[in-house]
Amino acid sequence: MSADPHRAIHVEHLSKRFRIPLDRSATLKHRVTHWRNATRFRIMEALRDISFDVSAGEFIGIIGHNGSGKSTLLKILSRIYRPDGGVVAIEGKVSPFLELGVGFNPELTARENIFLSGAILGLGRAELHRLFDEIIGFAELEQFVDHKLKNFSSGMEVRLAFSLAIQAHAEILMMDEVLAVGDASFQQKCFDIFARYKREGRTVVLVTHELGAVTTYCDRALLLDHGRLVADGATADVTAQYRRAIGLAADGSLTTTEVERWGSRDVVVTGVRMLDSRGVVDLNPATASFVRVEIGYGIQHDAIADFVCLIWLIRDDGLMVSEASLPVSQYAQVGESQRGSGGTIRFDIPQLPLLDGAYSVDLEIQGRRDGAIYDHLKHAIHFRVIDKRARRGVVEPGGVWSVVAGEQPPDTWQDPLG
Amino acid sequence: MSASADTEVPAGATANAAQLNSFRHYRHLTLELAISQFKLRYTQSVLGYLWSLLKPAMIFGIIYVIFVVLFDVKDGTQFYGIQLLLGIVTWTFFAECTALSMQAIAANGGLIRKAYFPRSILVIAASLTSLFTFVINLCLVIVIAIALHQIDIGVRIVAVIPLLLELYLLALGISFFLGSLFVQYRDVGHLWEVLMQLLFYGSGVMFSLSYVLQRLHLARGVGVTKNLSPRDVWIAWLVVCNPIMQIVEDLRHALVTPQAPWTETIVTGHLAAVHQYAALDVPWLLPMPFLVVVLILAAGAFTFRARARNFAETL
Repeated sequence: MSADPHRAIHVEHLSKRFRIPLDRSATLKHRVTHWRNATRFRIMEALRDISFDVSAGEFIGIIGHNGSGKSTLLKILSRIYRPDGGVVAIEGKVSPFLELGVGFNPELTARENIFLSGAILGLGRAELHRLFDEIIGFAELEQFVDHKLKNFSSGMEVRLAFSLAIQAHAEILMMDEVLAVGDASFQQKCFDIFARYKREGRTVVLVTHELGAVTTYCDRALLLDHGRLVADGATADVTAQYRRAIGLAADGSLTTTEVERWGSRDVVVTGVRMLDSRGVVDLNPATASFVRVEIGYGIQHDAIADFVCLIWLIRDDGLMVSEASLPVSQYAQVGESQRGSGGTIRFDIPQLPLLDGAYSVDLEIQGRRDGAIYDHLKHAIHFRVIDKRARRGVVEPGGVWSVVAGEQPPDTWQDPLG
Repeated sequence: MSASADTEVPAGATANAAQLNSFRHYRHLTLELAISQFKLRYTQSVLGYLWSLLKPAMIFGIIYVIFVVLFDVKDGTQFYGIQLLLGIVTWTFFAECTALSMQAIAANGGLIRKAYFPRSILVIAASLTSLFTFVINLCLVIVIAIALHQIDIGVRIVAVIPLLLELYLLALGISFFLGSLFVQYRDVGHLWEVLMQLLFYGSGVMFSLSYVLQRLHLARGVGVTKNLSPRDVWIAWLVVCNPIMQIVEDLRHALVTPQAPWTETIVTGHLAAVHQYAALDVPWLLPMPFLVVVLILAAGAFTFRARARNFAETL
């Protein structure tokens, strides 16, 4: 191996396979009663032939869709998983934790949790005694030192986790999806910790979905796709490639794992996809761009005459942004419909009025007369709106500015100040 | 392509320092985990630590009432009561320690998936928690025995330390073994419960070893002239090789009744009398319990080591 003195992480031809048992053999009884059949496994290639180097002081982001292997890679780097092949060499003290507040127990007091979680973070007892006041002070929890953690608000718990984590003196930090959980204040704390690590010149490997964080803090990004390293380079290039990739990868077919679905299935949704103005699947529409949602339906029952399609846009925090409905039968000749017939419903948004954020589409087909639910799909599509101008807020109202020089408001204009 | 994932550590003195450092750190983590578990176990109920006393006390009460009061069975040894109590407290430790440590890995899935440290720490911490309780309870038994003038303190008391160590290592070995299996096969827990029932009766908790051997017509004076069937020989071997039997028996000798012989005397002395049955009159029976402990510990550590790398993935 080369002897680059500034190298912190060296990964060469790394591969990792998971063996997923095909039959349920969670009990010894099952193992004994089926002793003749060796448990069959499906081999899942989680990582294939990954090679990269990280220099000391680099802030590197790992991105990729769900199941691309990014968390697996991070777990191998922190020695939680073992690689099946290849070389992983790490120079420097690695943080042994992947998340803030690891090892916290709600039944213990703040004091006890500091000593327990601190021990996991690699802090010695004497060290923790010395740092104790600083940790509690920084978390602003002086009055709650001997209160049980379960009585803390999530904000208090996060402050405690945060002020403990900044004391960990690892040279290389591994962080997994820290932004995925917690409220806004938690996320802000996470950004603070990143900024601090960056200032201190520590090596950080960050795995996240939050492209914004990657863009802000990472010098470099790795893009994983189905266990392969498909891009390694400047953050802007890699995130752009990722945006393109997730748009194209989602072909609109329904994945049963992520969709919550219910209904009598007299009429079913056979497919749903989100298209751009060129008719190409795009799950990262830009603000004010044309968006079309296409819904395929199939009638499964002879007596269905009249039904309505409803579509909701839901923000990732659960806020219903809008609701729209269409009495399908008035547009399509479904009156004489039979089992097996179907069609496509289109919902066009000429200028998407949403700003940056994560959204999903909920769908429902219901009987028009009785309101019976035929098919309801929660989170049928997840999409992310990207505003190229990075404006703050929720909606782009399509407001039009104008300035008329030299003209004063008429006297009848109400003075808002008085 | 090598499959090593080890951290590269600079050679020489620094490596030793780093190892020493991580050893210190992991020892600290083990104690910290054990202490918090101890606190958690006893601060979450109204009676707190009393529970760990009440449990063996209640078992003692039940056995004493059934065997001594109702059926008037005694094994003929001195201070049967305190001997029984000592046996039950020792057994309770063994039962609790194995049952709880077995679950230590499976119960800490979150920690295992989120942080790196040697997985054995979780098992050791859980077993230490039970050991704390045991040591406190043992001291209380001694206090009771002193109060009842049923104790004979002599130099023999020194033997308590290696005996406790032997018992702890036995429980730890079993915990390692069961704990690594429990991650994948949860019904190991049920199986172990049943096995412990069997062990309870086969470990001389209720009766002294000499009484058991007598009942098996193996000891001097009772039916020695009778032909020993191969079945009797097997049972005798199992009883004599059971380390819990030996530990309980020797603890009694060390603390309560010096008249009760050390196990070796029981085994070699009494069985030697059965001279026509050379099968039992062999010197290598003496170290058998210790050998069993070593074997179980080795098997447990080996199984655990082989499986530990997959814990994070299995959980």
